[in-house]
Amino acid sequence: MKHSKLWFGFFVGPILLSFIVVVIAPMMMGIYYSFTDWNGINNNADWVGLKNYVEIFTQDREFLNAFQFTVKFAIVSVITINAMGFGLAILVTRGLKISNFLRSIFFMPNLIGGLILGFVWQFIFTRAFHAVGVRFGIDFLQGWLATTSTGFWGLVILMSWQMAGYMMVIYIAAIENIPQSLLEAAEIDGATNWQVLRHVTIPLVAPAFTVGVFLTLSNSFKLYDQNLSLTGGGPFNSTQMLAMHIYNTAFRFNTFGLAQAKAVVFLMAVACISLTQIYYSKKREVEM
Amino acid sequence: MKMRKKLALGMVFMLVLSAFLLAGCSSTPQDTSAPQEDGEEVRETVEVDIFQFKVEIGRELEQAARAYEADNPGVKINIETVGGGDDYGAALRAKFQSGAEPAIFNVGGPQDVEDWMSKLEDLSDQPWVDLALDGILSGATVDGKVYALPFNIEGYGFIYNKGIFEAAGIDAASIVDYASLEEAVKTLDSKIKAGELKDEYPLLEAVFEYAARETWVTGLHTSNAFLGQEFDSSIDAFNANTVEFNYADAFKKLIDLQADYSSNTNSKRNLNAVDYTAQVEEGIAIERVAITQQGNWVYGGVKGVDPAVADNLDILPMPVIGGQEDVIPVGVPMHWTVNKDVSEEVKEVAKDFLNWLYTSDTGKDYIVNQFYFIPPLSGYENFKPEDSLGAAVQRYAEAGKTTPWVFMGYPTGWGMDVLGINIQRYLDGSMTWEELISDSQAQWERMR
Repeated sequence: MKHSKLWFGFFVGPILLSFIVVVIAPMMMGIYYSFTDWNGINNNADWVGLKNYVEIFTQDREFLNAFQFTVKFAIVSVITINAMGFGLAILVTRGLKISNFLRSIFFMPNLIGGLILGFVWQFIFTRAFHAVGVRFGIDFLQGWLATTSTGFWGLVILMSWQMAGYMMVIYIAAIENIPQSLLEAAEIDGATNWQVLRHVTIPLVAPAFTVGVFLTLSNSFKLYDQNLSLTGGGPFNSTQMLAMHIYNTAFRFNTFGLAQAKAVVFLMAVACISLTQIYYSKKREVEM
Repeated sequence: MKMRKKLALGMVFMLVLSAFLLAGCSSTPQDTSAPQEDGEEVRETVEVDIFQFKVEIGRELEQAARAYEADNPGVKINIETVGGGDDYGAALRAKFQSGAEPAIFNVGGPQDVEDWMSKLEDLSDQPWVDLALDGILSGATVDGKVYALPFNIEGYGFIYNKGIFEAAGIDAASIVDYASLEEAVKTLDSKIKAGELKDEYPLLEAVFEYAARETWVTGLHTSNAFLGQEFDSSIDAFNANTVEFNYADAFKKLIDLQADYSSNTNSKRNLNAVDYTAQVEEGIAIERVAITQQGNWVYGGVKGVDPAVADNLDILPMPVIGGQEDVIPVGVPMHWTVNKDVSEEVKEVAKDFLNWLYTSDTGKDYIVNQFYFIPPLSGYENFKPEDSLGAAVQRYAEAGKTTPWVFMGYPTGWGMDVLGINIQRYLDGSMTWEELISDSQAQWERMR
């Protein structure tokens, strides 16, 4: 017993140390730099107090635009990704002959890197859509990614296509954990398929929804590579999401201090939203 | 019992070791005052690290370095290439922050020179300084001291397909101002629409392709044609607190011309999705369009698609109504610099390598025939560019029909992320030309 404290130190020590060095310390340094006018080259930066934060909220229209766009994107994509993921999970747990095959097919997009997917879909939207549109005279299919709304829906389609398979796996696990007895009981009581889904399946996979919504929400907020390769923020930066906006502030305008301040605001926003979401989702879960 | 003690000892050792390793990681970046200390121990070979951005010459530069090593035993040159404008800037900063400072790296124009001033070695005493072409060092000179060697000179304008012009019966030599350019474009457009060129050029669908998605094409290059006549040099632009847009109407006309006669005439906002590939490899190279605003650097890309087309290209001037009309903008895209914080002997080798590359006969051969550079120095009489576009740029340069590149002197990010973005808004219809001018002016002043 006497040794346990020592052992605890041995096991936790290295992890704690590395956690401090690679997470806590850089975060503290980041917060410090957000109060300076650091340009990313020199190691000495001048303290400017709250100037960066004031600039973000008073002068920087682009930041607020990016924030709005990101929130809009996050809301829509959380809904589409989880709905599609859950739908696919239901489909492949029906006991179809080809369900194993379907599972791998649906999961496959998730194995391709975000940058490559972005370029692939860029080709589909700007070339394939365009060609089909011209061939059949459908205006709707022409000029995709050239306007804000097509850029937005392009991103949503890309992300739903990529992430739905991943969410499907999570929901499959949850659905297969539902005791067969409950489903049978419902069937004997004469419940329709819809009633079973609505009153048995969905309440029991609620913990998986918590995880799924959390993952998609934080991923949508932090999205960068798909955004970069699909639209690059264009047209006129109107599809620029927060992560990309912060990167550009730092590396294009060389205002690292300002970018760091934006990153701090971003971190707080994402933390608030994610924690609130987890709190409310947890309340909904059903214990068995 | 013994086992457990050994285990405990091992654990303590591991913990201490990991602490040291991690501490080592975190302290290196601060230690920038003497970063090359470990170089002292191996005296036999001097290692020079080059961190450069021109992807196109990556392999050829490697060969040049091997050739230099063969002549200079005891020297090792390591080349690392990271491509593309702003990515390079980010990578270079990361490189310096990590403590692995390169001996030779690249800077763009005056803003870069100012940003990196604390790291730049004074190169005024180098032999190539006296050989430089007139005014070519202006972007890298501060207080009379030269801090960087220009890569090459590059030029851009309206690249056109000579074959299509001949087939349409247009004499390109007569295009010397905006009026004659517009005339030629209209003639070409009517012939394309009438289908007269269909047999010879089945893919030809429009006169222009304009890549508004690439904000460097619009915000840097198109704008420079006009601001290059407003400012005398990039330094002049760099020192200017305001921008007047003296040629705003001419600027609008040239953008409208390119948009109105593009393949997206009916909805110009679609130009915002047109990228470099659509403009070059899937545009001018496959003879889908006849003219496009690009520079001599596209030669390699076009050649990769169709060598015959590549050799049949030439450059038309970018006319500025009210200013000089029969000119193209020519300038220095990037410079070589030497890091002054590396050890003396590394610095010497670094300088010698650059000097060798640009002034020795072997080096010159690499510059002109391997890198396809248009040399920024004199003394290259025996080395002429062989590609059609390089020759065209040199023709303009020799005739003195050039305006300078001043976009390196724009406030950081202004060209691409303010003006380029505003041009997208203009094409989209969500901003008028007057708003574009006034907003871009206001942002320039704010960013100074």
